Amino acid sequence: MNIDTETAGATTTATTTATTSATLFDQKKIRTIALSTFGSFLRNKVILLFGSLFACVVLLMMTPLLGFKAMTTASNAQQMQGFILNEVAVVVSMVSAFGSLLAAWAAADSVATEMKSGTILAVMARPLRRWEFLAGKYLGVMMLMSVYVVAMLGVTFLLAWLGGQSFHVSFWTLLAYPMVRYAIWAAIAMFLVTMLHPILVMGLVIVLATLIQIFGSTASHMPNWLRLPVHLVLPLTNLISEQRFLTITRASLRPFPWTNHLTALVYGLDYALVCFLLAVFVFQRRSLSRD
Amino acid sequence: MAAPAIEFSGVTKVYQRRLGGVPIAALSNISFEVARGEVCAFLGPNGAGKTTSMNILMGFLYASSGRSRVFGYEPGDVRAKQRIGFLPENFAFYRYLNAEKLLQFHLRLSGRVLDDPTALIASLLAKVKLDSYKGLKIGKYSRGMVQRLGIAQALLGDPELLVLDEPTSGLDPAGRKEVRDLILSLKAEGKTIFLSSHILSEVEQICDRVIIIDRGHMVRTGTMQEMLAEDNRVEIIVDQLPEELELVVKERGASVEREPHRVRIAIDVAQKRALAEMLWAGGCDVISLTPIKSSLEETFLKLVTAGGAQ
Repeated sequence: MNIDTETAGATTTATTTATTSATLFDQKKIRTIALSTFGSFLRNKVILLFGSLFACVVLLMMTPLLGFKAMTTASNAQQMQGFILNEVAVVVSMVSAFGSLLAAWAAADSVATEMKSGTILAVMARPLRRWEFLAGKYLGVMMLMSVYVVAMLGVTFLLAWLGGQSFHVSFWTLLAYPMVRYAIWAAIAMFLVTMLHPILVMGLVIVLATLIQIFGSTASHMPNWLRLPVHLVLPLTNLISEQRFLTITRASLRPFPWTNHLTALVYGLDYALVCFLLAVFVFQRRSLSRD
Repeated sequence: MAAPAIEFSGVTKVYQRRLGGVPIAALSNISFEVARGEVCAFLGPNGAGKTTSMNILMGFLYASSGRSRVFGYEPGDVRAKQRIGFLPENFAFYRYLNAEKLLQFHLRLSGRVLDDPTALIASLLAKVKLDSYKGLKIGKYSRGMVQRLGIAQALLGDPELLVLDEPTSGLDPAGRKEVRDLILSLKAEGKTIFLSSHILSEVEQICDRVIIIDRGHMVRTGTMQEMLAEDNRVEIIVDQLPEELELVVKERGASVEREPHRVRIAIDVAQKRALAEMLWAGGCDVISLTPIKSSLEETFLKLVTAGGAQ
């Protein structure tokens, strides 16, 4: 570490041409955190495991699909078509549910790892607000999920094509609905991880998802006094499911007014925003050190 | 008048334990100021509350009570953080990045806009002697290399205030000297430096002021000169001391330490003249007569041990 005049001079030269930006909101810093988070996901062993499992599931499910296709004759064509579409529907549901877990895990892990390793100290020593850090992390998670959604869309179309079907549905719905759904799960996990250990967060996310399924299917039988709080607290992810208007087993699209799409997506984004703001509120008040 | 670089006023931090655990008071009513341009050492034994104080200063922790300010701003305020370079204790990095990429990442976060950021990064890496390792992933760095990189990232934003938690930790003697020289050169540039260290001989060489805390309590604060204040004793070095004279000297309350070619005599400052004249008269050649100063380490140990005993 020689402090020679040459390097000191170079530092001075660079310094004299420098300016420091001091805006109230710096989207460049949020983008820097987001890109760094996304980059770390691409090196993350658990994400790679998720990716490998995704590929394995798709390959595994393609085997019977191709089998059905090969067995199709003129006499059993309709029956085989039914098998194929059922299988496609199962794969799509599985991959979609998998995505929810991935979104929750990525959000929880992205914050918890920084806290546990202590890398957050160097980052937060920079002129960066706590909410900007969290927003960057959240955007990084959504970047990962956008890659996942595109891959999921590719798998859906690939399987449908193998099954001899085509979906008459606009692309944006198959992209927007899962993205909003994953935005909710990521925000919930981010809120929970500001208070709890990530393993506990994942446990709660699974409990929450199970409750949603239970209450979703029994909502009509629930008494009013229970229905309202349940609807207020639990995210109605069934409402933000593309399966509401896309019946894969019949490869058909139900008529759906655009206002319905809009309200469903706004509901999802609003829920995610509330969870994110709660995460910011808690994160703003908590200790960042490993003490 | 400009606000001091750092201001702590009655800062207390109590860690609340969950599930009915006993709360732990990490800091109790700590007050001090660090003026701009000062190099201030923040000393204390392990667990004294140094890192807690630094974390409060950086806005990572909130004080339970009291007031803290950095350049007049609340800790954690971006306007304050823009002017700080921070090296945490046990610095952790993204292990998959190399030094160049990490500094680029931190430079973007610092908000500094440079015409040629690569020139600054290259010069900083050269400064901390990591220029030949800039392509190597940080995960493969040694502890000392990581520490050097930490120092480079602390300097990245051209900060007015450097907060360094154990800057020489993990460095070999040569590395420690280089960090010491670096701090002195930053001091010459007028930077304010607030550092913690356990290597008191180094602190003695570079710091203007010292703050000593122990078990969360302020023990002493003062300039380095005050810390190294005279001991009310002088040391007289003579070439030889006959045994009969030694007895007389000892009767006067002096301590005698014989070395191969000289003898050291320590005596109360009030008796220095009389003793020196007696030694001259007794045929001893007085080589030197100097006031005895206690080292920072001695002062520190005295204060911390006294606090511990209490």
